[in-house]
Amino acid sequence: MTFKQVRKQTSQPKKARKSKFQADLAPAEDRMVRGLKEELQLGSNTDFLSDAVALFRWAVGERKRGHRIFSESEKGERKELVFPRLERIAPEFSLPRVEISWTTKELESLAELASREPADPTETLIRAMRD
Amino acid sequence: MAVLIRRLEEQDEVAPFDCGDEPLNNYLKRHAWANQQKSSIGVTFVAIDEGAPRTVIGYCTLAMAGAPRDAFPKKYDLPLSLLARLAVDRRFSGKGLGHALISEAFKIALRAADDVGCRCIITDAYPNRTAWYARYGFVPLEGGVEDGPQRMFLDIRTIRMALKTPK
Repeated sequence: MTFKQVRKQTSQPKKARKSKFQADLAPAEDRMVRGLKEELQLGSNTDFLSDAVALFRWAVGERKRGHRIFSESEKGERKELVFPRLERIAPEFSLPRVEISWTTKELESLAELASREPADPTETLIRAMRD
Repeated sequence: MAVLIRRLEEQDEVAPFDCGDEPLNNYLKRHAWANQQKSSIGVTFVAIDEGAPRTVIGYCTLAMAGAPRDAFPKKYDLPLSLLARLAVDRRFSGKGLGHALISEAFKIALRAADDVGCRCIITDAYPNRTAWYARYGFVPLEGGVEDGPQRMFLDIRTIRMALKTPK
């Protein structure tokens, strides 16, 4: 009995495409990044970003599970991390539903506004969403 | 002054809060916590200074609501976010706290829109505050109760557009 060795024609797995990340940093933020890189002995921005993402991902996961994040000093004093963006993904985030009263005219006015094309955002609203 | 905005907590100091309007002071001091934790009819987000992390210096209260289906051509209730209250302690007025609170409210409403659907934000503004809300694009609804607050509308799609507007 002979065995024929068949070389499996496997196509080389495609290398996952790396994406570029560019950020505009204010001078103070830039100094902060450089300082952190030095402290953490990180050689490249890629390593810095990768570590920062890993830490952020962990924090997001914890808050999503409803866990709170604390730091604890040697004396046992605790400080809680409260970060508005993380609070938005915490499970207790959901808003309760309430009933509100309407006049017939208000409802007509609402229906008219809601069926229009949306208005362009004002400068103040744009600023609010960036802050 | 570094300001944080987070959910109201039971230990927060609300007694010294004074925005110059008794019903708004009273709501924070007597009802906000109970409405949030016990009755679940509104969530209050408070502004605090990092230097005094328990003292509330501003707040806004949000809830989900709806407008009944009969008014709409597609015959379904219109889901909406209700910005029920917004107030800033007068000792901290002019420092951008109102802007910070309403910015947070917009972001929360957007998230609610993504999670459970929400077509607009509605608020009942004091008549002397309508111009402030109009700066953010709120439009007055017609036909409200005389001598009552002015109900105002902001389309959630407008907020989404604002988020996507390039710098």
